[in-house]
Parts: sequence; C-alpha cells; structure tokens
Amino acid sequence: MTLPCVCMVTSNVNQTRKTDEVKVQHPPCLSEPCCQSNAAGPNISPAASDLPADLVFKFPAMWSGGSRVRALNLVPALSGCRLLHVTAGLSAQAQRLQKKLEPVEIPGLEPITYWDRMHYVPGLADPKCPVWDRGWEDPFHRRGPKYEEMPLYKEKPCYTFHQRTKMLEGVKQALWLTKSKLIEGLPKQILSIAEDPANCIEDQDERVKAAISHARFWTTTEIRPKRDRFCPVLLQDLLHLCRILQPRFPTLGNRMLAENYRVAAIWERESDIFRVCGLNGVLLSSKQPLPAVAGKEEILSTESHALPTFYPISPNIDLQQTHVYKECNDTGFRDGYPFPYAHTLYITESSVNMTRFKPEPLRAKMIMFTFANALARAKLLYGEEPKELDNPITVQCIATNGRMFQFLVLQLNTTDLQSNDGVKNLIWLDQDQLLYDYAKCRPSIRKKIVQVPAGLSGYCPETFSKFLAMYLHGAV
Amino acid sequence: MAARSRWPLVRSVCLNGGRRFGAGRAGLGTEPALTPAPLSPRYPPVLPSRTAKSKSAQKRRMEEFFQRVHDTPSVAEKLRLLTRIQRLKYVVYPQTLSIDADRWYQSFTKTAFVPGLPGRLTAGSGAALELGQLKSLVCEAVLQENFYMKRRRPFLYREREQTVLPLLGNLVPRLISALVAENPLLGASTLDYEPEVNFFWLRGERTVPRGHRKGQVDPIRFQIDDKPYCQIRVHDQLPEFVPLGQSVPEDVPVIQIEPSRLPLFQRQYDNNIFIGSKIADSSCYGHTQFHFASDKLRREKLIKDNLTDQIEVRLRANGIASLFAWTGAQAMYQGFWSEADVTRPFVSQAVITDGIFFSFFCYQLNTLALSSRADQHNERKNICWGTESMRLYEDVEGDNVRGFNDEVLSLLVHFLLNRPESIESSIS
Repeated sequence: MTLPCVCMVTSNVNQTRKTDEVKVQHPPCLSEPCCQSNAAGPNISPAASDLPADLVFKFPAMWSGGSRVRALNLVPALSGCRLLHVTAGLSAQAQRLQKKLEPVEIPGLEPITYWDRMHYVPGLADPKCPVWDRGWEDPFHRRGPKYEEMPLYKEKPCYTFHQRTKMLEGVKQALWLTKSKLIEGLPKQILSIAEDPANCIEDQDERVKAAISHARFWTTTEIRPKRDRFCPVLLQDLLHLCRILQPRFPTLGNRMLAENYRVAAIWERESDIFRVCGLNGVLLSSKQPLPAVAGKEEILSTESHALPTFYPISPNIDLQQTHVYKECNDTGFRDGYPFPYAHTLYITESSVNMTRFKPEPLRAKMIMFTFANALARAKLLYGEEPKELDNPITVQCIATNGRMFQFLVLQLNTTDLQSNDGVKNLIWLDQDQLLYDYAKCRPSIRKKIVQVPAGLSGYCPETFSKFLAMYLHGAV
Repeated sequence: MAARSRWPLVRSVCLNGGRRFGAGRAGLGTEPALTPAPLSPRYPPVLPSRTAKSKSAQKRRMEEFFQRVHDTPSVAEKLRLLTRIQRLKYVVYPQTLSIDADRWYQSFTKTAFVPGLPGRLTAGSGAALELGQLKSLVCEAVLQENFYMKRRRPFLYREREQTVLPLLGNLVPRLISALVAENPLLGASTLDYEPEVNFFWLRGERTVPRGHRKGQVDPIRFQIDDKPYCQIRVHDQLPEFVPLGQSVPEDVPVIQIEPSRLPLFQRQYDNNIFIGSKIADSSCYGHTQFHFASDKLRREKLIKDNLTDQIEVRLRANGIASLFAWTGAQAMYQGFWSEADVTRPFVSQAVITDGIFFSFFCYQLNTLALSSRADQHNERKNICWGTESMRLYEDVEGDNVRGFNDEVLSLLVHFLLNRPESIESSIS
C-alpha cells in the first residue's frame, strides 16, 4: 500500500521498520516536527489511494489540526477531491489554503518551462500559455471589453447616484451636491391651497379612510397585504381621489402620468463630476409649468447662505464611481412631448426586505431625483451653459412608504453649480407626515388591555390636505 | 304504518263523540267537515339517519347543510361554509390556448352569447358626445407610449406589455376624470390596478370511475382566478339590459364530453370568491374591467398557425369567463348562492385590448343555480353580449396617429357613461 506521508507510517508501525518495509517515496512535509527528523525520500508520489480511516481516527491526539491538513495538502491528487474520511470543514480548509503563486518576472532572465516537453516536469516553471482565439463569437464564453477599451471611457471619474443609493450624510449631502438651501415646511402658497375649504372633496375624510382601508385591509384574499401590494395601491387610490376634482379645475386635465421612465442629468461641482440617472418613480407631467414659489428677493438672499459641509466625509461618499459614462442630459422623453414640464414625482418605498429605504436616505433620494428632473429640463430649455435662470423651474416630489409621507418642493434657480458661492437653489421639505397611526388587522393587546384597536386608528386629515394641495398647485 | 298515521283526526275519539268520521254509508259523499285547529303531532317527525351510509342519510346531511347556510346571517360566514372544504377542481383560465374554448366556457357557466351589444350601448344611441377632446386625450396616451417615451430594448416576447399596460394605465384614469361631470357614479368609484378576481362554483355531476369511492356521484367543481389589468368598482348596481325572466333566442351550448378533454386540469387549493376587494368595502358592484390580451391571444401567432377564427373565439372565452367570475362573486357578496338564486340581475362590462384592437363585452348574470340539484327546473340563463375586435388606429407615424376610429372611442365612452337611472335623474 502506498502511503502519502511519512507521518502516517510512523504513527501506525514501529519506528524501526520505517525505512525497510515501506519503499514508497515520501513527500517532504518538512514543516512538521514529526517529519523533520526523518530526511527520507524527496520524491512525491502522486498516490491516489485514500487515507486509511483508522490512521486518522486512532491517533487524533498526535496530530494537531494543522498537520492533518497540511499532510493532505501535499498530495496533488487529493487536494481537489472530497475526502469522506475527513469532515467537510477540514477539506474546505484544505481548499482555501491553496494560493496561486504569481510567476516572478525578472528582466533578462528567461524562465525554463516545460512547454517544449509537452508534459509537466517537476522543478521546471509553469509556462505562460498564449491566448487562444476561438475565431468566432461564442455567446456562452464572452469576456467582454475591459473598462479602458470601452468607447465611453474617460480618465476623470464620475460619481453616479441611482435608485438604490443610500448616502451616508443623507439630506445634508444632497443639499451640498445640488447647491441648495433647505427650508423646513411647505411654502405658504401650498399651505393656503390646503387650508382653503373650496378645494376639498365631498366627504373627504370618509373617502380617504375608505381608500386607506382598501389598501391596508381589503385588497387581497389573505388576512393582510404586504407592503409591496398596499403601498402602490394606496398611492393610486389617493391619486384617483385627487383626479375626480377635474370638473372643478379643468386644467387638471392637462396632465399625464409616466412610469418606468429614465432621467439622466450630469453636472460639475467643485472639481468632481456628479450624475443622477435611472428609474425613479411615477412622474406627473403637465402642459403648463409650475409657478415659481420664491420671489426674486428670496432668491437673491440665498447668495449669502453657506452650504453645510460634513468634513472629513467627502461629498462623493456612497456614490458609485465610474469611468465609463455618457455626458448627456435626458428627460426621458423625446422632443415635442406635449407635457414638457415636470409637475410632481411620486416615489413609493414599497420593498419588504431589509434593503428598504429609511426616511433619511429616502429624503436624499427625493432631493436628488427631483433636482435631476429640473436640471435636465433647464438644460433643454436654456442650453448647456451654466448660468442663473431668470424663470426658475419648480418641481415637486412626494415619497411614501404606505404610512409616512415626505413632501418636497424644489426650485431650481441656477445651473451654475461649479462654485460654492452665488445664488443657491431652494428646497422646502416637510418630513415624516403620518397619514394614520395604526392600521391593524388584529387588535394589539397587552396585559389584557387593548392597546391599539383593530382597524384604522389615528387618522390625520392634514396629510391628505397637503397631498391634494400639491396636486392642485398650478391648477388652482 | 304511515297510512294509519295520516288519519289522526279520524281516529281520535274525543272529537266526534266516539263515532268515526265517514264510517259506513254516511261517510261516502259527505262534504268535507270543518277542519278543526291543527294539533301538534304527538311524536317527533320520522327522519332518516344523519350518520348512516345510505342515500337518505346523505340527502338529510345535504339538506341540513343547506339549511345552515340559509340561516347564517352574515355573508362572510356563508361564503366560508360554501368554500370551506378543499377538493380537486378544474381551474378555468380566462385566457386559454384551447380550441373552441368559448363554447365550453358557455356550457360551464350556462351563458348564452349574443353577438353585438345591447341596445342602449350601441354607438350612435343617446346624445352625440363631444368626442374631440376625448380623442386628443386618447391620442396623447397612445403617442406617449409608442413614440415619446424613451425605452430600452424590451424583454423577449414582452414588447407589447411594455407599451400597452402603461397605455391602459394612463387612458382609463384620464377618461374617467374627463367623464366625471357626466357620470357622478365614476366620481364615487374605486379604480383597482391588477386586482384578483376569483370565483368557485359547482356545475354538473360525474360518477367516480375508480377507487374506493367508485360509483358515487360527485359534483364537478370549477375555479376561475383572474387578474384584469384594471377595474372600476362602484357602490350602485348597473341597470339590467333585459328583465330577469325574459329569455333570449340564443341557446346555451351543451357539451357531453367531460371537461378534462378541453383540456382542463384539476388542482386542489383554497376556494376563493373575491371581487377585488373584501366584503367590508362599500363599492361592491362592478362597472368595467380592462383586460390585456396577452401573448396567448396574440393575433400574428394565430394567423401564422392557421387559426384565424380562433382569435375571436379566445377573446370571447376571455370575456365570458372573466365577467362570469366577477358578476358571480358580486352576487355571492350580496348573499345569493346556488340554492338562493339571485332576485335581481347583476351586470358588468369588460374591454379586452392588445393596444390596437379593442373588443367590448357586457354580461348579465341571471342565475347562480348551476349545480345539478338547483338547475333541474331553472329556465334562466346568463347572457353575454360581445363585439368583434375593432382597430382603434391604423398606425403611429412619428408623432401622428393615422386612421383613428371614432366608433371604438364612442363605444368606450358609452361604456364608461353607463349608470343607473337614479343617478341619471339626479343629474337632470
């Protein structure tokens, strides 16, 4: 029987017999003390026999964990296959410890390889095989071009924001990137539309509660629908309620929804290029632009505002760095689109798993995509030159996770985003507005007292009023 | 024994002073005596067993179950009792690849198909509508999806889905909001996107061919699980097209072969009855459904396979199955079931489209009594009206829609303006 290592021989048989009886070539496992005393047999025999099970299990104490593994290592034939005598963890360890050594290149010295011999020769170097070209393009074996060979490759990297980006500094980082000033709360024009009783739907509260109950309880044959079902259903139900006011405000008919559209906007900001692109949400476009919310004085007063920095964190943290990008601004629609002005962007945060957006990264996403829509349209209307806009572009955004709403109004005053001074853009943000507190299918009972009753509880009518006001803004 | 027990009054001694009624020659030919106040029987009624393995015991169990369902006050409990037990059932797909599926589906649902639309919905009836503004609305929606929106290369065989579903999603809400002024019913409606519509019913019987239950008679169960792209639900019922008792000349096809020959396959899972929303929702009546004719109904494929006549057959099968399931579920939400047949007809509409071709269907559910026991003396039948598929436009050239067909638009508008008379009188 050929045995792969001297250690195995000495563990089973008497020490005296080892050189006589066993005529096998032993691999030199010189790292182990059990082998270093014995300077026999330099040659490694690639024995394919299995390790005798009794050897391993009879004398476990003699073997440290490492020695067993390294013994297995030295046999090339055994290193790739599964060994059923050893636990899977140990043979996995054996797989992991193999490191491919980089071939050392010394200029002037050519390594002697076994390429001419046409077979492996121990002691000679591994040859570097020439790259084989198949001659035709096999779709199952495509390597693809390297980044440097792609036509859109550029030396200067670009930092991209897409729909799954969660920025570390959230709103502050978005404000710095878009050169904007934050104002808490919605602008007073929208709040006055919300408070005007002439702008309410009949039985508004009952209808909104029915919409919430439909979304949260009634929309599935199971007991309760999951978030990816009730969040878009709630948004569509609320939009349906807003749309039926069209007889009262006829200009509401000049709007169109668009899902699955891709926006792209690129700008330079203090020696870095930033880009926002991809799918974002549902866009409500209209034939008339939204009126500017802030007057001239307020816009000029932003010149003195200093953007908050978050040193030592770099502003391009969490943004995807790419060298391959297209420098173009795209609204997602072709020229001549009858609804060229973006009105409101609706973002639903309806993912069920742990990769969902918390409120802070969701607000940052709102700011970035609203800004991208506004910037793309500004560059289309006023050209690629960075400048201050005489007619600012206003775009709104509403983000929800089915219960909490975030409202945003962005006014783009300038496309000159290179420097930190000058006129800033304005952002009004109304965050964490709950539409209702609880929507429970079963009552929540603790210590035999009902804490939260079943059904809808804690309804806040102001949130829907703001939703409706933002919908009616521009048409009232 | 039974004969003697039918004569308690004659036998009772206390009534006639000890003499027997009608005994002897005086008993013949006398006018019937005044019936005294009925006495309660002294012995409980003799009923067959409830637990024995006999036909009378099974009949008694069935009748007690039906009585239990009749006596339940709440609809949810009735539905639970009727759908509680899971057994193997045929799953009927509204969009199917089977040949001549519409006749089979008509026999499963006891539906008579009438070509064309009922009188009040035909284009040209009623006041001429202002179609100009609505036409521009439709053209804008068509152009956005076909021309203006920049899209990536679509997934294999999913090109039409990419354009048609957003087209419907834009067209329907915009038309609704434009027509709210004329039809207040739409102002109080609910618009569902991709709702589930399920219905479970029993129709016909079969004898179990083999196994330990060989020779027993079982009802055949069916289930439809449909998912229209969008539907409008309202809180007032649409008016009937024809009165409940009136029959139409078209017949319900009767197919003697068993359903699995269609081909139709059996599965066992939850028996669901659902209109798109649970019973607590006040919008419990259906108005219009909008379906997307998926790849199974793809016209080019059927023409290539020499099945040109099957285009209309498959659209009809889709319309009949979807609308039967929806109206049947609406009726069951109101407490009707196969042993408690509907007292008023349930009406709904559907539009099936693949982006260019539109087909319109109306359905009136007159009867839910489709099981073999309830159908024995039932002359009512359900009626489905339907049109052939019509082109909405010829082609989209750049930012122009060529060959727009106003008839299709007017039919669509008539469908959406359908409303009960009570609302009509409140407008005028």
